[in-house]
Amino acid sequence: MRLADAPLGISVRVSRLRSRPEISVRLREMGFCEDAVVRCVMKSHGNIICEILNARIAMNRRLAGDILVSPSE
Amino acid sequence: MRDNGSTSTRTRTVALVGNPNSGKTTVFNALTGLRQKVANYPGVTVERHEGTIRLPDGADCLILDLPGTYSLRASSPDEAIAVDVMLGRAAHTPPPDLIVCVVDAGNLERNLYIVSQIIDRRLPVVLELNMMDVARGHGLAVNVHRLEKELGVPVIPMVATTGAGIEDLRRTVATTPPPSSRGREWKLPEPVHREAEELTGMLLESGKYPEASAFSEAIDLLTSHPSALEQTDRFDRAILEHVRLDHQKLDFLGFDRESVAASARYAWLRQVVARSTDRVGYPGISGSDRLDRILTHRVWGLVIFLLLMALMFQSVFSWATAPMELIGEGFDALGRGVSGLIPPGPLHDLIIDGAIAGVAAVVTFLPQILFLFFFLTLLEDTGYMARAAYVMDRFMGRVGLPGKAFIPLLSSFACAIPGIMAARTIEKERDRIATMLIAPLMSCSARLPVYTLLIAAFIPATTVLGILSLPALTMFGLYLLGVLVAMGIAWVLKRSVLRSVQTELLLELPPYKLPSLKSVLLTMWERAVVFLKQAGTIILGASIIMWFLASYPKLEHGSPSEQIEYSFAGRAGKLIEPVIEPLGFNWKIGIGLISSLFQREVFVSTMGTIYNIQDTGGDGSVSLASRMREDIDPATGERTFTVPIALAVLVYYVLAMQCLSTVAVMRRETNGWKWPTLQFATMTGLAYAAAFIVYRLGTALGGT
Repeated sequence: MRLADAPLGISVRVSRLRSRPEISVRLREMGFCEDAVVRCVMKSHGNIICEILNARIAMNRRLAGDILVSPSE
Repeated sequence: MRDNGSTSTRTRTVALVGNPNSGKTTVFNALTGLRQKVANYPGVTVERHEGTIRLPDGADCLILDLPGTYSLRASSPDEAIAVDVMLGRAAHTPPPDLIVCVVDAGNLERNLYIVSQIIDRRLPVVLELNMMDVARGHGLAVNVHRLEKELGVPVIPMVATTGAGIEDLRRTVATTPPPSSRGREWKLPEPVHREAEELTGMLLESGKYPEASAFSEAIDLLTSHPSALEQTDRFDRAILEHVRLDHQKLDFLGFDRESVAASARYAWLRQVVARSTDRVGYPGISGSDRLDRILTHRVWGLVIFLLLMALMFQSVFSWATAPMELIGEGFDALGRGVSGLIPPGPLHDLIIDGAIAGVAAVVTFLPQILFLFFFLTLLEDTGYMARAAYVMDRFMGRVGLPGKAFIPLLSSFACAIPGIMAARTIEKERDRIATMLIAPLMSCSARLPVYTLLIAAFIPATTVLGILSLPALTMFGLYLLGVLVAMGIAWVLKRSVLRSVQTELLLELPPYKLPSLKSVLLTMWERAVVFLKQAGTIILGASIIMWFLASYPKLEHGSPSEQIEYSFAGRAGKLIEPVIEPLGFNWKIGIGLISSLFQREVFVSTMGTIYNIQDTGGDGSVSLASRMREDIDPATGERTFTVPIALAVLVYYVLAMQCLSTVAVMRRETNGWKWPTLQFATMTGLAYAAAFIVYRLGTALGGT
């Protein structure tokens, strides 16, 4: 599942990044490491705002589509 | 005044670093107060904020507020500066004696990421733990002593609102020798660790890398994408070959190589944070949450954004009028006072008409600039700016620009110079250049006097559709024209010379907070100083030169207007008359164009000089307006200005570059003449074409 499709308010786990290398490095530094828990809090026009490590991160549809997530139990 | 001139005590350098939004600047302001200055790092236009404080032992200490960064791997010019200074790789700044890392307690894990990288390299570092109250809001209490033990570096808690903790920080800064951190404590998976050690050995053998940082370099190499290896020139071929083999080996072993270090680091930090924080409650739906639901809403977000912009422009354009008039009157009084002291003659004219009048024309804009920065700082400090960039990303994306580009463009409505400088927060060079190229098309406050003068003179104050005044509508139209042309140019650029992969939006939204009056005032003070310095030097010089060109050579007998025609400026105007004649402009407007080539607002003072009246602020421009309206060229019997001509001049000023400082900033920012030259040529060409169309069309439609 892509982060862009994750249901609102539900915690999911990052499973893989398929964004460009420079962006992936930045994403990992911001906490989007494989296995990190992230929660989508807002969506508008495909852009999303999500919460990770107590920070709110806004990203556009493309990027949210490059972050693959799986359900977190 | 330095009373203690001892040169034996070397100035200590302390670097403030931290994540964006960690409250670094608040700490900097609290430490240095008004003893700070803004300059540029050599060769780049990253602003260098520094301040000097006096230590108890009498030595001075230089505090550097470095640009915010998430890690020691830089991805924008700003971050590169921060990293280079921290690691002592910058030629312009000595390696810092102490790094103060400002950490947001509400977001401890992420903020400690860079701290752990600094610790890895055994650099002297202390933690300034900020926003403890935000952490409590998240239900977490940080135990300072346990955090100190876990990390092995001093931790100083601070409450930004009360200023508590600043004294502790001052004491730490004054301590010699500064504490040194104890090195890496997180663990890589065994096979990766083995390769890293081997590579560290190779790096150390080459003798080019300091021992403390070799292991970090090795990890960076092992975890980087193959394409990054091709771009670096910091390593020998043999080392890079070895790294490629390591990559193959680790990939074969099934490691997610690129994320292995970040994951391991975060795993360790998770433990550090778990051990040094206590849960004291559970976070409910925060105020930030609720605000974001409205402010980033697809409809309301946009409505609120537009209302805020309207409010900002209202303040810049209306509320600033009173202080502007006050400044104008102040300069008039100064002129009259000085006038009484100096006997009539060339010196008298030079000082009154040249220096004082010229500087007054520009300093009058100080209130507008201050109002603008007041609002921009407020938006930034409350955390709204990031939301605005998010809301705008959709629209900026249509022309291929990132949402962040909206901030420099917005600032350019005050002045393209801070606007262009604000573009450095855009990571990708092509996006940055495109933004800088269109920034001067936003109608800046220097165009305002030109607009005001010509609109007052030639646009009848009638009402359209019952409520809208025609002059206000014209003014709005001019602003809109600039924006639309800018968007068109951006669209073309992003599909041709500056084509790049569609930019991803990746933006942290800081928690909302009440702005600190101190930091807002400090920013305004800083901007005022920069602006007045410029007025005192470049503009003073330009005014004197302009006065000279319009006054010499002297005509023995003749009216002031004949004198102008005879002067150097008049001759230059005559010289370019054939070129601007198709636009309906005569030589008098030509003088205006030439004299304002470096600075748009000079057009107004030049018109003032030509029409031989002292431009005295508010009501003064009305009488100048009527003089301009009635001016007839004795040679041809034609009026200098008709409504189509005035509109053509207005359109010309919307689109033409006409600003030396912008050219200079562009050159510095893009490191060459290519972009500013292209920009100047394009804008002037567009301005010429548009003015031509407006004049011809206006005349054909019977405008007089």
